[in-house]
Amino acid sequence: MAQAVLPQPVQRLINELSRLPGVGPKSAARLTFYLLRTADEQALDLAQALQDLIERTQFCSTCFNITEEDPCLICQDAGRDQSILCVVEEPLDVLAIERSRAFNGRYHVLHGAISPVEGVGPEDLRVAELVERVEQGKFRELILATNPTLEGESTSLYIQRRLAREGLRITRLARGLPVGGDLEYTDEITLSRAMEGRQEL
Amino acid sequence: MLAYQLVYFVLLMHITRLSLTNFRNYGRLELDLPVGPSLIHGNNAQGKTNLLEAVYYLATTKSPHADQDQQLINWVAMQAEEPVIVGRLVAQISTSQGVKTIEMRLIYERSQSLRNGRGSFRREALVDKRKVRLMDLLGHLRVVMFLPEDVQLITGSPRQRRRYLDITLCQIDPLYCRTLSNYNKVLEQRNALLRQIAEGQSSRAMLPIYTEKLVKLGSRVLVRRARFVDELAREVHRIHYEALTEGRETVRLHYLPGLWHNKPGNNDTDTNGKGWAAWWQTHSQDEAAVAERFDEAVETSFAADLARGATSVGPHRDDWQFLLNGRSLSSYGSRGQQRTAILALKMAEINWMTGQTGEVPILLLDEVVAELDAQRRALLLDYVKDANQAFLTATDPAMFSLDFLRNASSFLVENGRVQLDTGQIGFS
Ligand SMILES: Nc1ncnc2c1ncn2[C@@H]1O[C@H](COP(=O)(O)OP(=O)(O)OP(=O)(O)O)[C@@H](O)[C@H]1O
Ligand SMILES: [Mg+2]
Ligand SMILES: [Zn+2]
Repeated sequence: MAQAVLPQPVQRLINELSRLPGVGPKSAARLTFYLLRTADEQALDLAQALQDLIERTQFCSTCFNITEEDPCLICQDAGRDQSILCVVEEPLDVLAIERSRAFNGRYHVLHGAISPVEGVGPEDLRVAELVERVEQGKFRELILATNPTLEGESTSLYIQRRLAREGLRITRLARGLPVGGDLEYTDEITLSRAMEGRQEL
Repeated sequence: MLAYQLVYFVLLMHITRLSLTNFRNYGRLELDLPVGPSLIHGNNAQGKTNLLEAVYYLATTKSPHADQDQQLINWVAMQAEEPVIVGRLVAQISTSQGVKTIEMRLIYERSQSLRNGRGSFRREALVDKRKVRLMDLLGHLRVVMFLPEDVQLITGSPRQRRRYLDITLCQIDPLYCRTLSNYNKVLEQRNALLRQIAEGQSSRAMLPIYTEKLVKLGSRVLVRRARFVDELAREVHRIHYEALTEGRETVRLHYLPGLWHNKPGNNDTDTNGKGWAAWWQTHSQDEAAVAERFDEAVETSFAADLARGATSVGPHRDDWQFLLNGRSLSSYGSRGQQRTAILALKMAEINWMTGQTGEVPILLLDEVVAELDAQRRALLLDYVKDANQAFLTATDPAMFSLDFLRNASSFLVENGRVQLDTGQIGFS
């Protein structure tokens, strides 16, 4: 007896989608059938977008952010402060800091954080490139903006130790109280960190 | 219960409703819970202990029984061909700050890709339907549990004793819980790094960073635990001496930090912790001094650690012990003496939690009342009367006095179903 099977292209897309983080087989199937039913154009746009993602982007050879042209727009921008460098774990962190408009210097994207458990050491990140950039001596200040996790903090400490030298100020982001928050309802951890990172008025 | 007591009690922390789905032998349970004492009775293997375990699990995120949390999911549900199987525990609780819902989900996902049919297990915690970190579930409910096997705290492994300290402290000290969890993460990273260094896959450059964090977090963990043991020890001694042995015997608790024994020239001569105890007396407020000791010990054991691929000193290797009239209770105590000390410990735990939070914790007593003589039973039931809410299991309700039963609610448990007794039991 013939058994109903999915046409191979349908099954293939379901398989590919379900390999994405956060997408299970069920939602992969739902997305696939949604695409089958939409206008051809919309589905092809998506395919084109995927292709462009791979073919038209690269890592900036200076800061290792994702970019269409190399060097990236930020590295090209002469209007930005050349003497201050902000080190982040991921390209999305650059975006978040840019959105805040609080920073007008250069970036360096490490592409991860050190974690021996996961087999990630300094040599698996863009640390050597960072060292090289800093050794050229143009930066006055280095802001270590890694995540406030054990991995992020260890990475910052490691970089700080490797790069500490005369004439280079190394700072990290303050961890503190959320704006608009109520002291009374702030959890102890955040509060104790804010206390540790208190500042002169 | 008197009316004015009732009004007072309902303002304090208690569970108003418990819902279980696919938890142990409960396929589905919806149970309204009263304040005051509740007797949970029924034949063997019907689900009495499982009910207490559910409450304990919601309060501590830990099971007192299961080695793997996956075992908590109802095994009938696990038989189903479903891709995802979820066990749920939900408690509606009332506290002085209002009404809250806390929930724990046990999620087993059969993975499609793995041929062997094994899946992945994870847990989710929710407060008022919003996902939170597991440790944020702590502190909403506080419980003290009495189990027949508690005596293993004295005779069992150091791991069990550390677990007891950690679970108890975590219920009331979120900062400790966070520190401990970070310490364990650092430890794991450091051990992984040690193995990579030993295999020549990694340089030593990162090691000082993890070692410093290990020492900083580890000494905090150690100091908090040792202070906790001190606080508990005073209460245990008092209860044991005054109420349980009428001044005949003295019990002391000692924290035993592994790093003290690993000190060079100190090899195992200090197993009773006397040297440490004297040192601690003058340094209990001095975290920096502890950190210095810890640092030395890590330094000393470095070569050995590298060879083992594991960190051999630190609070993850610590222990604590009971001394009865100056001698180790686990080595020299009789069974009865050990039980008495455990009873004192648990009563002290109630007093300690009450002192720390201003509220009596919810009491969970599994079968323990049956083992006690009349005098101790009466003493324990005094604690039960003072609690906002208490759950006691028994196969035979007749062991409780009529006076106690008159003031308690009672539930019959039968094969994963729970039913409120309407008539007065013991009066039939
Ligand atoms: N994951 C599970 N799924 C289904 N049933 C389970 C699971 N784990 C344990 N059980 C069953 O739950 C039943 C009730 O256990 P429980 O320990 O609560 O009984 P009890 O009423 O306390 O009995 P006793 O008086 O003997 O202590 C046992 O028969 C046990 O086999
Ligand atoms: Mg039982
Ligand atoms: Zn760039």
